[in-house]
Amino acid sequence: MDVEITTLTRRGAALMHRANRVSGDRVQFGRGTDNDVPLTDIRIGLSAMALLQQDGRLVVEKLGTTPLRVNGQAVETTTVAPGDKIDLGPYHIEIAEPPAGFDAALSVELTQPLGDALDRLRRHARIGLQASGLSKRSSAWVGAVVVALLFLVAPVVLYGAGFIAPWQKDEPSHVGPVAVAALSWNIGDISNTHRFFAPNCTSCHEKSFTSVSDNACLACHSTVANHVAAKSDIGPLRTRLADTGCVHCHEEHRGIRGTVIREDGFCLDCHSSLTDKAPKSAYRNVGGFPNGHPQFRATVVADAVAGKVERVELGGNPPPIDRPGLKFSHAAHLVKGGFPALNYKQMACADCHRAEPGGLGFQPVKYKENCQTCHEHDLVFEGTDLPWPKGQVPHGDDAGIVAAVWNFYAAKSLQGGGGAEPATFRRAAGAPAPGLQAPETAQAQISQKAEAALRNVIFDDKRGCGYCHYGTGPQGAFETAKMIPAAVATGERPHFIAPVLLQSRFLPQAQFDHSRHSAMLCGDCHQRRGAESQVPLAQLGQISLTAAVPEPLDIPGIDKCTGCHGGQKAVVRAASTCTTCHKFHRNEFGVMRENAAATH
Amino acid sequence: MSVGEQLSTGAAAGPDGVQRHQSFLVYDSFRWLKICFAIILASILLYILDEPYGPRYGGTWAGYILGIAGAGLIVWLTWFGYRKRSYLDLHGRLVSRLSAHVYLGLALIVVATLHTGFSFGWNVHTLAYVLMCLVIASGVFGIVSYVRYPRLMTENRGNLTTHEMLSHIAGINDELRNAAVPLDDATATLVERAVETTDIGGSPWRQISGKYPGCATEAALQGVTAAEANVTPELEEAYRRVHLLLDDKRAQLHQIRTDISYKAMMDVWLYIHVPITFALLAALFAHILSVLFFIPLAIRG
Repeated sequence: MDVEITTLTRRGAALMHRANRVSGDRVQFGRGTDNDVPLTDIRIGLSAMALLQQDGRLVVEKLGTTPLRVNGQAVETTTVAPGDKIDLGPYHIEIAEPPAGFDAALSVELTQPLGDALDRLRRHARIGLQASGLSKRSSAWVGAVVVALLFLVAPVVLYGAGFIAPWQKDEPSHVGPVAVAALSWNIGDISNTHRFFAPNCTSCHEKSFTSVSDNACLACHSTVANHVAAKSDIGPLRTRLADTGCVHCHEEHRGIRGTVIREDGFCLDCHSSLTDKAPKSAYRNVGGFPNGHPQFRATVVADAVAGKVERVELGGNPPPIDRPGLKFSHAAHLVKGGFPALNYKQMACADCHRAEPGGLGFQPVKYKENCQTCHEHDLVFEGTDLPWPKGQVPHGDDAGIVAAVWNFYAAKSLQGGGGAEPATFRRAAGAPAPGLQAPETAQAQISQKAEAALRNVIFDDKRGCGYCHYGTGPQGAFETAKMIPAAVATGERPHFIAPVLLQSRFLPQAQFDHSRHSAMLCGDCHQRRGAESQVPLAQLGQISLTAAVPEPLDIPGIDKCTGCHGGQKAVVRAASTCTTCHKFHRNEFGVMRENAAATH
Repeated sequence: MSVGEQLSTGAAAGPDGVQRHQSFLVYDSFRWLKICFAIILASILLYILDEPYGPRYGGTWAGYILGIAGAGLIVWLTWFGYRKRSYLDLHGRLVSRLSAHVYLGLALIVVATLHTGFSFGWNVHTLAYVLMCLVIASGVFGIVSYVRYPRLMTENRGNLTTHEMLSHIAGINDELRNAAVPLDDATATLVERAVETTDIGGSPWRQISGKYPGCATEAALQGVTAAEANVTPELEEAYRRVHLLLDDKRAQLHQIRTDISYKAMMDVWLYIHVPITFALLAALFAHILSVLFFIPLAIRG
C-alpha cells in the first residue's frame, strides 16, 4: 500500500503543505519515532493509530489510549473513505482522493497546539504533597525541638536551678508542672513507700552524674540496724561492709514492691567463705539454698539455772533435748480426746501458744494466761483455821509464799495455838511480858510447822510447785528443812524454785514467719507433737513420758523446708533467697552507720 | 500480583545472566532478612540468659547491650535516610542499603522492646520507645506502599507521564472552550469554570483520597446534562459534543487524580517517618542522658 501523507502547517494565514510517500501493509501513526507517520505532540500515544487496507477498503484502528474520533464518533476501528474526517488527539486528519500511483491520501494537521491551556493547567494544579504545604524539614525541627525542650532542657534546667527541692517534713509533694517534668525522667516505678516524695528527685539524687549516697538514705533511715556487732572480729570484711553502700542492695525505681534486691549472690560473696575470711566468726559457710546450706542449728537451754544455752544441730537422731527447767510434757497435754474429768476438750497448740501480734512467732507461755485455767493453786492446808474456804498461794514468788506460810503459823502461835506451853509463869526482871512465848521455842515450832506445810503441800510433787518446777536442791529437790532455818539465821531471801528459761524462738538467726504458713497445720512441721495428739488418754502411760524427763525438741530441720522451698530461681518450689529467712539488718547489733555523716 | 508474588519474582539475574531490577526486599537472596533474624535471635537469647533480680529492664548487662545496640541502630538507620537522598552512590549499593535499612529497622523492634524489658511508664524513656514504634510502623507502611502502588500506578497510567496526562486535559480544555461557544450563557459559564478551576491535586487530604467534592467539571457535566433536555434540535450536536468532551475530561481527571493519590500514598508515610525520626533522636538523647545523669555505670547483674 502506498499512501501520500500531506502535513499541513499554518504560519499565520499561510498554510504550508509537505507531502511524503509512505509504503507498507500498514501505516502507523504515533509519537514514537518508529512510526511511519511520527506525530510529535505530547498528547499522542507512542503508537496511536494504524491505517491499513482490507478487501480494498481503508481501515483505521485505534492502538493506544489516544482518543480516536471518525466524523465525531469515538471509534476503535472503522472503515474510512475519502472525505472522512479523523480526530486523533490534537491532530485533524482528512482522507482525500488518492492521486495516481497511490492507494490512499490523507492530510495531517495539528489543530490544537498546546498553548496557554497547558500552562494555566499546570499553574493551577498542585501535584505532590510538597506542593500542598507539608514540609518534612520543618515538622522534623518542630518535633525534635519540642521533645528536647520538654524532656531534656526542662528537667536539666529545673534540676540545675534548684526548682526540684528535696522533700521536707510537713510539706507534701505536689503534682504540678515541675513534678511532671521531674517524673518524665523516672526510669521505673518508684517503690510504694517512697512514692510520697516521688517528684522530689533531689531527696535522693543530690548530685548529677553520681549515684545515690548513703547520706541521702540515712537522712530518714538513721536508725537502720547493723549487720554485725560493732566489736565482733570479722577481719577485712569489716572494711568491706563499711564500703558497701545502701544502693548496693537497695535499688529504687524497680517497681512498687520495694527496693531490696533479694539476690543470694550479695550474701554469698562473704558467707560462702566466712570461715576463711572471718575465722573468728561463729558462723558456718553457706554456699546457697537448698544446696550448700548447712543443717539448721537450734538454740536450746542447756542449764536453766545457770542461764546457759547451746547451739545444737537439728535433723539428727535422737533429737536434741531442751532443758527449760520445767517438768512439762506436751504428750500429756495433747492426749486424744482431751480431759473429760476436767470437762476440757482435746487441747490444741493455740490453747497455749498464742501468736504474736505480727504473727511471726508466739508470745511467751505464762502460767497465769496458759496454765492456771486447769492448774489452780487450790492447795488446802490447815483449812479449818483459815477465814476463807480455800487457801490459794500466788504464783511466781516462792520466798513470798514461804513467808506467808511462816507468818500464818506465827499468827497461829500468837493466837496460842502454837503448842503446849504453860498458861502462866513468873516473869523475871527484864524478861518479856506475859503472853509472849520464849522466842527460841516459838520460832522452832513455827519453823517446824511451816516447813512441814511447805514440804507436804506447797512444794509437793503431786499437788504443789514440784508438779512442774524443780527445787534448787540436788536433783531438783526442795530443801525446805535446810533452807528455812538458814534463811532465818542469815536473813537472806531464799530461793526454793529453780529458775525456768522458756524460749519462744529456737532458730533465732532466722525469721521463720508462722503467719505466712498459717494454711498449714502445726503438726505438718512439728510432727512429734502431731503424733502425740493421736495418743489416747489410756495409753498415755505407755509412751513413758514422765514429767521429770526433759522433752526432745520438736523443731524441724532443713529437710522440712526444702520440701516446699527451693533456691532463688526455683520453678517448682517456692523461690527463696537468703532474705526470705534471714535479716541483713539485725536489731541486736545496734545502729549500722552511726557516724555515716562523718565518714561519707 | 500479590505482595508475595512480587517478592518471589524479584529475582536477581535471569537465565541469560543479565542483572535485572531487584526488589530491596529480596536483595542478595534475602541477605538482610537473614541478618535481621540473626539479630532477633541474638537479642532473645541475651534477654533469656540475663536473669536479674526482679523483672527484666534496661539497666541490666543484657539491657545495656540491647540498649547500646538499639541506639546504634537508630543512629545508623537515620544516617542511611540522610545518605539515601544523595544518588551519587551506585544503584546497587543503594538497593543494598535500602534492604539493610528495612530489615534492620524491623529487627530494631525486637531489640528495643527487649531492652525495655516490657516496663513502660509515663516518661521520656517510653516516649522514645513509642516514637521509635511510630517511625517503624510508618516505615512498614512505606514498604507496603512501595510494593503496592507502583504497580497500581503503572496500570492506571498506561504509559503516560504526568505531563502527558495534563496535556490531554489541556487539549480537552481547548476543545471545550471552542465547543462551548454555541451553548447558552449559563452552561457556557459552567464549562468555562470547568476549564479554568477544575482542581488537580491540592490539599494533602484531596491528594491522598482522590476525592474532589465540588469538582467544577462534575458541576459542568451536570449542567450540560440538565440543559440538553430542552435544547433546540440545531444545537443538539453542540451540546452532545461538549457532553462528550466533559465525559472525556472526567475520565482523564479520574486517571490523573488516581495517579496523584497513589503517589501521595507513596509519599505520605515519609511525612511521619522523617519528622518523628528527629523527635525520636531528641527523645533518645534525653533518655540516655537521664539514665547517665543519675546512675553512672550502675549495672546490675
